Amino acid sequence: MSTKTPAAPAEAQELAKKAPRPSGSKKLLRKVEPYIWIAPSIILMAIFIVTPIVKVFQLSMSKVTRAGLVKGYNNFENFSKVLKSPAFALVLKNTIVWTIAVVVISTVLGFMLALVLNNKFRGRKVARAIVVFPWATTLVIQASAWNFIINKDYGTLNTLLMKIGLISAPVNWTPTPAAYFAWEIACGIFVTIPFVTFCVLSGLQSIDASYYEAATVDGAGYFQKLFSITLPLVKSSLTVATVLNIIYVFNSFPIIWTMTKGDPANHTDTLVTYLYKLAFYNGKQGEASAVSVIGFVILLACASVYMIYTLRKGDDDL
Amino acid sequence: MKKFLAALLALVMVLSLAACGGDKGGDTTPPPADSGNTDTQTPPADAGSGDKTAIKVIAAEYGQNTKQWWADFVTEFNGSHDDIDLTVEVVSWNDIYTVVNTRVANNDAPDILNIDVFADYVADDLLLPIQDCVSDETYAKFYDAFLEQSNIDGTIWAIPDLASARAMYYNKGILDAAGVEVPTTWDELKAACEKIKAYDSSIYPWGIDMTTDEGQAAFAYYIWNNGSDFTDASGNWTLNADANVEAIEYAIGLVKDGYTNSDPANETRYALQDLFGAGKLAMMIGPNSIPTYIADNYAKANTPAEEQIDYAFAAIPTNGSNASVSAGVMDRFMVFDNEDSEEKIEAIKEFFDFFYEDTRYSDWVLMEGFLPATSAGGEIVAKADESMAPWVDIVGSCKFYPTAKAEWADVKQGVIDVEQQALLGGSVKELLDTLQATIAG
Repeated sequence: MSTKTPAAPAEAQELAKKAPRPSGSKKLLRKVEPYIWIAPSIILMAIFIVTPIVKVFQLSMSKVTRAGLVKGYNNFENFSKVLKSPAFALVLKNTIVWTIAVVVISTVLGFMLALVLNNKFRGRKVARAIVVFPWATTLVIQASAWNFIINKDYGTLNTLLMKIGLISAPVNWTPTPAAYFAWEIACGIFVTIPFVTFCVLSGLQSIDASYYEAATVDGAGYFQKLFSITLPLVKSSLTVATVLNIIYVFNSFPIIWTMTKGDPANHTDTLVTYLYKLAFYNGKQGEASAVSVIGFVILLACASVYMIYTLRKGDDDL
Repeated sequence: MKKFLAALLALVMVLSLAACGGDKGGDTTPPPADSGNTDTQTPPADAGSGDKTAIKVIAAEYGQNTKQWWADFVTEFNGSHDDIDLTVEVVSWNDIYTVVNTRVANNDAPDILNIDVFADYVADDLLLPIQDCVSDETYAKFYDAFLEQSNIDGTIWAIPDLASARAMYYNKGILDAAGVEVPTTWDELKAACEKIKAYDSSIYPWGIDMTTDEGQAAFAYYIWNNGSDFTDASGNWTLNADANVEAIEYAIGLVKDGYTNSDPANETRYALQDLFGAGKLAMMIGPNSIPTYIADNYAKANTPAEEQIDYAFAAIPTNGSNASVSAGVMDRFMVFDNEDSEEKIEAIKEFFDFFYEDTRYSDWVLMEGFLPATSAGGEIVAKADESMAPWVDIVGSCKFYPTAKAEWADVKQGVIDVEQQALLGGSVKELLDTLQATIAG
């Protein structure tokens, strides 16, 4: 309601004066209102996300005793100790192999599964529900189950193969650390596939069927349609799923911890299990924080590359 | 501008997801079902009452009976001490170090702590000499050898609350069937393994645990029974001593020859105990609690008597004529220096007198099947349970890890790493040389 009507009669002006008008306080409220609404999230983020991360940065540059007392800053001593440790290079390599293998393979398989589940067939709903199971089960339980399956002495895989006569004596499925790591990666892929599948499936369902109809009329084959229609249109869902997966998988702890604890001699450790050991088995919280910061910086770099790449291409393409 | 916006968005994304990832890991980490539970045993009516002297205790949860035992203890103690308000927080082993460290960092250290390690707290000047906090009568009850384990620079910083000892368990049925005598030396052990393997190749003759959980125990069994040690007589680290190299090479040799469980770097003692109980493992070194563990498993699985194994224990085999050495593990009580008044110190003394009262103490030890650290407790326990009697003898003479030395935590992880590297083909001599150089500088 405006009060600046110059030709208004005196009565009307009087009324207008009495009517509520956006006073200074109301204007202020309007300005402040959005901030009030987002304040709870900002406060929660500050308490539960920013504070622990600032604390980790602080600890990574501090001398921390085994009893947990912080004895002042020691610059980058924790970082230099970590980087000099012979185990670190191995652990970093493992982390990269783990992240790339799990993310790439689960993305490919998840994408293929999504294509299958996007078709109309009897029992599609049940199939979709079954795909969620690995996702819905606790990772520790998943990893324990896998451990139980591949165990040489009482594992179900050996029992099954012996029952159907494929092998006569139990096979040691984990004779080397590399073999164990491969099983861990397999378990990681198994639990990651549902997430990719559902991200891609949501993208697939938003594609208008008329594109495919037009392509069919023009004589396009299955793969032409897949690469020229489906892939470009689900690219945004796939990209989001991949970036989230990189971060989740990189930071994943339960599978490796439950199956091998990073043993033997750090051969199956990733940065997260390594820093857990440093902090809670070796009592080196400063060095553990330094490893945590290194992981954070690596992830930040990956996420920045992705964000810059996608924002440069514009929102439409995202 | 876009780049800046992109970087900002990326930062926010990583911040939030990094926090999520961390949480996920932390929540699901500790394997046992009862982990993460802390339980404060305190009568609600008395809590925090002004005139009373409050004593806060943090105690480790040894098993499923620990909480109830402490709850009863607190009720009894507070009932008979009108001027003291005792609270006991029972914390699982998975969390106790984090809980204590957090409390210490926040200036809220407990008055009394029941845990295994103590040297780190001494290094930070957090403890009181234990003799100042225990009455002379109670202090006189402990085995001297046990008190010595908590000696740093001539001061005793902690008193033992209980102990456990290790011996070699063997499956009588398998040894008889394979025509093997119980081995007492390393040569006999190797010969026994060979015969058992020849008798039934699906049975593992010998169990070895070189995992992150307890690999240091394997290191101790072999070096101690080769007449060697972690340190020399004056307390200097001697990790790369020739006898240590020989001992670990012998152990690794058993694995390489195929006489042991297939994956010593990943199969914990509990996995070995399961294999032993199932009759798939002929011999292993383990604690005095194994009979309870196996019996519980049989009860849970309703294992029929004919499928249960017939087993016994004997001294750990040694190299040649060296004396057999049992490995002891000991936990402790220590008192934090919270600038306590004399009244409080007296209250703490009352607590210890009450705890170490002979019958109550033997009840504490028997509660989870451990061994006593006092001679009077030993006599009572030996009388109460015949199967415990030989263990009470063993525990009085066994060796302990050098936990009083500040470098122990590094040595412990270091020897486990050496074992695991050696399993992967590394040279024991070179690995121990490197470890010695890292630890001793």
